[in-house]
Amino acid sequence: MIEATNLTVWLSGKPIVRDVSLRARPGEFTAIAGPNGSGKTTTLKALAGELPFQGHLTINGHAISELKPWQLSIKRAVLPQASVIAFPFTVREIVQMGLTVHPHNSHVTNQRIVTDALQAVDLEGFAGRFYQELSGGEQQRVQLARVLCQIWDPVVDGEPCYLLLDEPVSSLDIRHQLAIMALGRRYCERGGGVIAVMHDLNLTAMFAEHMIMMKDGQVAAAGNPRDALTDDTLQTVFGCQMRVNTTPAHNTPFVLPHTAAF
Amino acid sequence: MALSDTSLVAKASVPPGLKALLSDWRRGDRAPLARIVIGVLAVLTLVTFGFSVMTGASDASIWNVLGLEVLGFATDTTLSARDSIIIYDIRLPRAVMGLLIGASLAVSGAVMQGLFRNPLADPGLVGVSSGASLGAVTMIVLGTQVFGPLFAIFGIYTLPVASFVGGLITTLLLYRIATRNGQTSIATMLLAGIALGALAGAVTGILVFKADDKQLRDLTFWGLGSLAGATWTKILAAGPIMLAALLAVPFLARGLNAITLGEAAAFHMGVPVQRLKAIGIVTVAAATGASVAVSGGIGFVGIVVPHILRLIIGPDHRYLLPASALLGGVMLLFADMFARTIVAPAELPIGILTAVVGAPFFLWILLRGRMQMGL
Repeated sequence: MIEATNLTVWLSGKPIVRDVSLRARPGEFTAIAGPNGSGKTTTLKALAGELPFQGHLTINGHAISELKPWQLSIKRAVLPQASVIAFPFTVREIVQMGLTVHPHNSHVTNQRIVTDALQAVDLEGFAGRFYQELSGGEQQRVQLARVLCQIWDPVVDGEPCYLLLDEPVSSLDIRHQLAIMALGRRYCERGGGVIAVMHDLNLTAMFAEHMIMMKDGQVAAAGNPRDALTDDTLQTVFGCQMRVNTTPAHNTPFVLPHTAAF
Repeated sequence: MALSDTSLVAKASVPPGLKALLSDWRRGDRAPLARIVIGVLAVLTLVTFGFSVMTGASDASIWNVLGLEVLGFATDTTLSARDSIIIYDIRLPRAVMGLLIGASLAVSGAVMQGLFRNPLADPGLVGVSSGASLGAVTMIVLGTQVFGPLFAIFGIYTLPVASFVGGLITTLLLYRIATRNGQTSIATMLLAGIALGALAGAVTGILVFKADDKQLRDLTFWGLGSLAGATWTKILAAGPIMLAALLAVPFLARGLNAITLGEAAAFHMGVPVQRLKAIGIVTVAAATGASVAVSGGIGFVGIVVPHILRLIIGPDHRYLLPASALLGGVMLLFADMFARTIVAPAELPIGILTAVVGAPFFLWILLRGRMQMGL
């Protein structure tokens, strides 16, 4: 489990995240939603261990601030929002970088993981292409393949691993949005955990078991999307008068932007 | 440069080894090719080294010397003794120095480009060499008066160590100025490099102005950018620093690969980023400082060599760094052979040669990559 207790993060003299407590359990797809500038990405970065913070952060019971970079990197992998690369790497070379912390794997194992990871993000046959020549969505999926390589097995020595994804589907077409969300869900079913910053409330409702709504650096609502995604929370968190409906088959909440009142 | 274009090559009848290589290349795996390139470069280094020892302004023959030394037999003993001096005390140290400096310059360029995530970073262009020069000039001019005790402590190492410190201060300043929140601005880096280089140059100018006649002569010989002054003593002084920097390189490679995705991403992948940057910066400063201390400013090797290699074997630092070391040595030895034979018996400063080739090359990179780099 990744657990934050009274997490506060200051950036350039401002408190961006204030007193946030949250839990992300293995086997559960956890989504963080909220308006722009509400502290979602900063929270994710703190959970990744890359920012100084006040409060208490643990991963599988270990204090995150006390783990070395390599110890963290075998427990969690992080997909950043956008990556600009100055050198002409091929897709295979980028994805292989995810294996930086596993230098003792055999060559055959590494090649297999790279091939499987590319297949998982629907980029079979892209290994020989140059990263810089791909479209934004394809680049995002290459990065996801790299992140998957890093913690390919969701459970290692009985300890679950976690994917921290910052807007993993933001530049994908609808087919790949669904595919990548399903991929995250499967990772959870195999015993790992996922924490994703999400903007699409409908995809969140479909795939997430736990939803955290943030506003002004604080948690405004949390729980199963069925409970957290309501007319009230949309009003208080986003300042949007919208109606939440549910699908007849699975009772999954959904939001139609058409229902917004201005 | 789509990889599918290689299908034309594949259709022609090719030996199976090459076929496997092409198929790896098409699958985006350039490691097998890189290993072959490094092997070829290693052979080329040995050949160039031998060639460099054999050629020169005088007709000294390595065979005479080998005959005398190894076989204990010589057709003409006096001739062999003369040749022996030319080869042992002039050509051999010069060739060793050429290899070491070429390797150091190319590797410090490649490491700096990796650290700054930017193919235009080169110690010569962004003021690190100027800072190293300032360190060396400070020692030459003020050495005996102000830093007398340092000479007593460091002995022959004083000049290389002073250059190293000068280079280190410049690199640290540059990094501080150009990098914010783990992102390096290309424009800021180049402009700050110009400013730092100019400042170091100005202070160097003041020192030169203050220098007496003997010091001026030392400065002129030192600053021409030449391998002409190579002696075993200088190799003994600067060589260990360059070797130490070159030996640090294998430990940087994986980290430098990861850091091309950004400092945060490298940290996520398990790289101790702060330590990597510290070792990288010290390596660049040591390699550049020691080179500048013995040969003055030899520019553009650090930008041309890694760039050519990236086009062939890709930017993976595990192969790029050793290949740069080898190709840097080979290129500098070639440039040196050219420099000492083209206007023989006089000698062209090698720094002029590398600039004549390197500067247009730099412009070419700039024009070719202008779009991608946002300049």
